[in-house]
Amino acid sequence: MKRCGFFVLLALAGIQGIACAQSGAAPASLPSGYKVGRTAFGDPDLQGLWTNASITTLERPAGLNSLVLSPQVAGQIEARFAGRREADQRATDPSLGAPATGDDVRGYNSFWIDLGSRLAVIGGEIRASWIVDPSSGKVPYSMQGRQALRAAAQTSFDGPETRPIGERCIIGYGSTSGPPMLNVLYNNHYQIVQSPGHVVIVVEMNHDARIIRLGGERLPATQSQWLGDSIGRFEGDTLVVETSHLHPGQSFMADVRHYLYVPPTARVVERFTRVAADEILYEFSVSDDRAYTQTWRGEMPFRAAKGPMFEYACHEGNHSLTNILKGARHAERSR
Amino acid sequence: MQNAAGEASRDCGGLRFFACLVLAAAMSVVGMSARAHHAFAAEFDSNLPVLLQGKVTRIEWVNPHAWIHLRVEMPGQPPQTWAVEGGTPNTLLRAGISRDTLKIGTDIVVRGYQSKDPGCIPVCRANGRDMTLPDGQKLFMGASGTGAPRDGADPTEPARAN
Repeated sequence: MKRCGFFVLLALAGIQGIACAQSGAAPASLPSGYKVGRTAFGDPDLQGLWTNASITTLERPAGLNSLVLSPQVAGQIEARFAGRREADQRATDPSLGAPATGDDVRGYNSFWIDLGSRLAVIGGEIRASWIVDPSSGKVPYSMQGRQALRAAAQTSFDGPETRPIGERCIIGYGSTSGPPMLNVLYNNHYQIVQSPGHVVIVVEMNHDARIIRLGGERLPATQSQWLGDSIGRFEGDTLVVETSHLHPGQSFMADVRHYLYVPPTARVVERFTRVAADEILYEFSVSDDRAYTQTWRGEMPFRAAKGPMFEYACHEGNHSLTNILKGARHAERSR
Repeated sequence: MQNAAGEASRDCGGLRFFACLVLAAAMSVVGMSARAHHAFAAEFDSNLPVLLQGKVTRIEWVNPHAWIHLRVEMPGQPPQTWAVEGGTPNTLLRAGISRDTLKIGTDIVVRGYQSKDPGCIPVCRANGRDMTLPDGQKLFMGASGTGAPRDGADPTEPARAN
């Protein structure tokens, strides 16, 4: 299993050559029949606390041939997932002693992990990936895009400025805040608040607020910002958000289960449609002529979550960055 | 990469190949911080395994990582204070853990790896790969880590019909 896991992480990174069958299903049609409520000022009401936690991943894992999984396969995957997690919760043999050198190195017990336990269901279909187009379920990087991904992933230990932005607590890691907003290892919560002219999405990690202007002018081309410049509009019951001017520092976003490169020149279009009292259908498309061979699209459910959403104040307690740099300096002295 | 693929084929052969792959992807994250807030290898040294036992002296319920401090007393050695890195406290709060769940003075056992800087200034540091009570029970067993879904699914709802 350990070697298998390593292989899958490579596959998710898109740096291996395993062929996958190209048999993705068409995106599910929107559920109908739900009457979307209105805010006091007449906009479709998307407000509330939501989560996108799931064991469904951005890209379709190698070995799965279609976007849609049968209930049998999904049940097996979820049952094994639950079983393995349950095993991780069992008591440790007190006589075990210290772990072996380099043995299955991991961070901490699974009680710290909160990635969900179910595969996502959209329009009645159990999904193997968020990506619905292309049918491979993979981000369609061009050769240039793949090279840019590798370059953007490079970091050093020279100082805090060269460490990943998640590690520095600038924004959450793994594109949790997006766009596109992806599920990560834990803290997958979002609070949507609306006012006349604005929609704000408070992202649990790192307590960031995506401020979406409804209409208005775009920022000057030279002005990039974290989470990009987002302008929205309502098309019927759907909030459509177009984002550009992404900060170059957030081009490479990595989680345990995905790596993603979205260049500052990319255009991300998101669509939020409340399809039930307890669910928002979140659709996104990402375009960039140089990084990708085509516009790629994804679909994801945001499910209603129980509150409250706790503040994730990252900077104040971030001892890790200090320790990481101290470790690097120690390594230099030891050479 | 070809070797990795070949090994995967042997480990996950036959009908269960695809399920194993998906499972591996999911399972590989349980208990890992490989690409969470920071990579394990950035801060800790897998060549420095430690076994720590002592009483909790201080808990920092802070993001991005909680830190549990314990006083470790070894025969013939002066006592040492170790700070052990855990995960984000937000997940525990959501699971019903409060600041009083783990009390100061509780005896705990930590199996993990020391930080890359072993200088112990001002305290020694390690990751909490496995944090338990002395009898081996997980530190927050029963109150968290129950696998309760946080994906909108009611944990009491029936399993999906197969």
